[in-house]
Amino acid sequence: MVTATADIREPFRWTGMGYAVPALLLLAFFFVLPVLALLLRSITEPELGLQNYAELFATSTYARVLFNTFLVAGVVTLFSLLLGFPVAWLLAIMPQRWARIVFAVILLSMWTNLLARTYAWMVLLQRTGVINKMLMATGLVSEPLPLVNNLTGVTIGMVYIMLPFIILPLHATLRAIDPAILNAAALCGAGRWQIFRRVLVPLSAPGAAAGALMVFVMSLGYFVTPSLLGGTANMMLAGMIAQLIQSLLNWGLGGAAAFILLTVTLAIYALQLRYFSGAAGTAGGR
Amino acid sequence: MTDSFLTISGFRKTFGSIVAVEDVSLNIPKGEFLTFLGPSGSGKSTTLYAVAGFDDPSAGDISIDGRSILATPPHKRNIGMVFQRYTLFPHLPVGENIAFPLRVRGHSAADIAKTVKAMLSLVRLEGFEDRLPAQLSGGQQQRVALARALAYDPPVLLMDEPLSALDKKLREEIQVEIRRIHQETGVTILYVTHDQEEALRLSDRIAVFNHGRIEQVGSGEDLYARPATRFVAGFIGDSNFLKVREVERRGSAASAILPDGTRIENIPAHAGNGHAATPELMVRPQSLKFVQGSGAGLAVKVKDVTFLGDTSSVLLETGWGQEIWLRGAGSAVKTNALSGPLHVEWNPADSHLFC
Ligand SMILES: Nc1ncnc2c1ncn2[C@@H]1O[C@H](COP(=O)(O)OP(=O)(O)O)[C@@H](O)[C@H]1O
Ligand SMILES: [Mg+2]
Repeated sequence: MVTATADIREPFRWTGMGYAVPALLLLAFFFVLPVLALLLRSITEPELGLQNYAELFATSTYARVLFNTFLVAGVVTLFSLLLGFPVAWLLAIMPQRWARIVFAVILLSMWTNLLARTYAWMVLLQRTGVINKMLMATGLVSEPLPLVNNLTGVTIGMVYIMLPFIILPLHATLRAIDPAILNAAALCGAGRWQIFRRVLVPLSAPGAAAGALMVFVMSLGYFVTPSLLGGTANMMLAGMIAQLIQSLLNWGLGGAAAFILLTVTLAIYALQLRYFSGAAGTAGGR
Repeated sequence: MTDSFLTISGFRKTFGSIVAVEDVSLNIPKGEFLTFLGPSGSGKSTTLYAVAGFDDPSAGDISIDGRSILATPPHKRNIGMVFQRYTLFPHLPVGENIAFPLRVRGHSAADIAKTVKAMLSLVRLEGFEDRLPAQLSGGQQQRVALARALAYDPPVLLMDEPLSALDKKLREEIQVEIRRIHQETGVTILYVTHDQEEALRLSDRIAVFNHGRIEQVGSGEDLYARPATRFVAGFIGDSNFLKVREVERRGSAASAILPDGTRIENIPAHAGNGHAATPELMVRPQSLKFVQGSGAGLAVKVKDVTFLGDTSSVLLETGWGQEIWLRGAGSAVKTNALSGPLHVEWNPADSHLFC
């Protein structure tokens, strides 16, 4: 008898696939069908053609939202990497007992309600919030900084939410590096910076890339944090889709925007499969 | 000593309450191949790592060419090292691994290319530049590691059991290479191993480690023929330790009376019997001979004979029930009628009394 698991991994061998049919039907019904329906509406409403897509790119407000979305996702990814690397590194070299505690804190924050965490940032970042009060008290600024209801606020809030998704895979690749290799690099004459640049970064690149792509993709479609911390003037793609469909009932345009998001996401996912999933296995060291 | 190049003096290292190294002092002349030999956990690696600079000594000093290196961080010590584990950079091909220390030092591209080529030919791996470490066997990886460690012409090369992961045949092959490379480069080598055969094959001198101390330093021949302590006598080569009932010391020589009353005169005597409270007489199996005729020597019974080609090993039992080994040329052992009560003798100068 052929086992079911072996067949699921090989889509072109239909023998014995019968076991998977109910699951596939379910998947098709709940995921593929709605997407197809959306795609269909985006090229048929109000009439057949690509005018919805043309409008998205041509109208400056919509184009601006697209630009903001990619900008914020890029900046969030960059800062998550910059902040996540030292944290992952510290976690990898600190005594295991402490590292476990830090991990618990990170996971706990991940499991805390997203809305609660975002509102907490709203309180912290507002004109009279703790951060502005501290900045004023130390005399670093004379006026409260505008930290919320703009893209700065969105970026800060999202970096915080995305950090664990960078730290966890990075930490895994860093832990896999044999400390003896770093000792060898040191005796070869490499100082801290050289070891970081020539050994640590290349060896942890697969983990960093996996984390960065995940963060980028998640950031592109993020809804809650941009809506709450960005205000209405600084909409991102997910917020715009919601508004187009819920408030303006413009299913054609909303569908087109959603489809663009889906396409980009899938393209990035394909990129990751192609270039990084294989490399993660070999470059992580022993 | 005036010609000491690498000097370790009063080195001590503790990890919390664990004393890894009690007290180690060594004077190593330039170009010497010195091996740390000792059982696992005796402090060999700890001493080597202190020279490399990964661990600060708890006490003592380490100097090269008269200057203390303790304040110098590892990456500025200019010391080469081959580790027990494979430590090639997995993302870099062989050529770039060897070039690594030169790139870090900012050498010119032409210089790097020339050195990489020379190093590859030194370790006999020409044509392997572009392979990744994962595509090499364990022995090849350690040879590349050796090339990488020698690429910047370090005055001192440290090797921490570099061959312990390899099988016996390959190990012996690379030992020959290491010996040749030592002669060709003239680099001062500190080598760590727990394998006495490897130590004897490679070294100019051997420092025998035990419980965080050096028991004896000397050439392989010294250690074998003139062991200073019971531990060295037992660790280097095969040995019998006969029980001794009474000792009469006269300076550096002594007479011993064995449990059955046999009296042996003029034995070199040493104080270092380690933890054992009773004196013991060490005789190598090769030193024992059957007495032709009968009467003199130590009375024994034959328990077993093992034919080993060139030699035969004979398991004997003494009058007081202790088992000892005799080894002799296959024919010499055979010609004796190995039955009934026999006597063995040896040149007392070849035996050692530890009391
Ligand atoms: N980092 C360390 N922490 C605690 N104990 C250590 C550490 N390194 C070595 N030791 C201890 O020091 C002793 C000597 O170790 P080592 O120098 O590695 O021995 P060898 O290389 O001769 O096998 C051992 O008992 C070992 O357990
Ligand atoms: Mg060791």
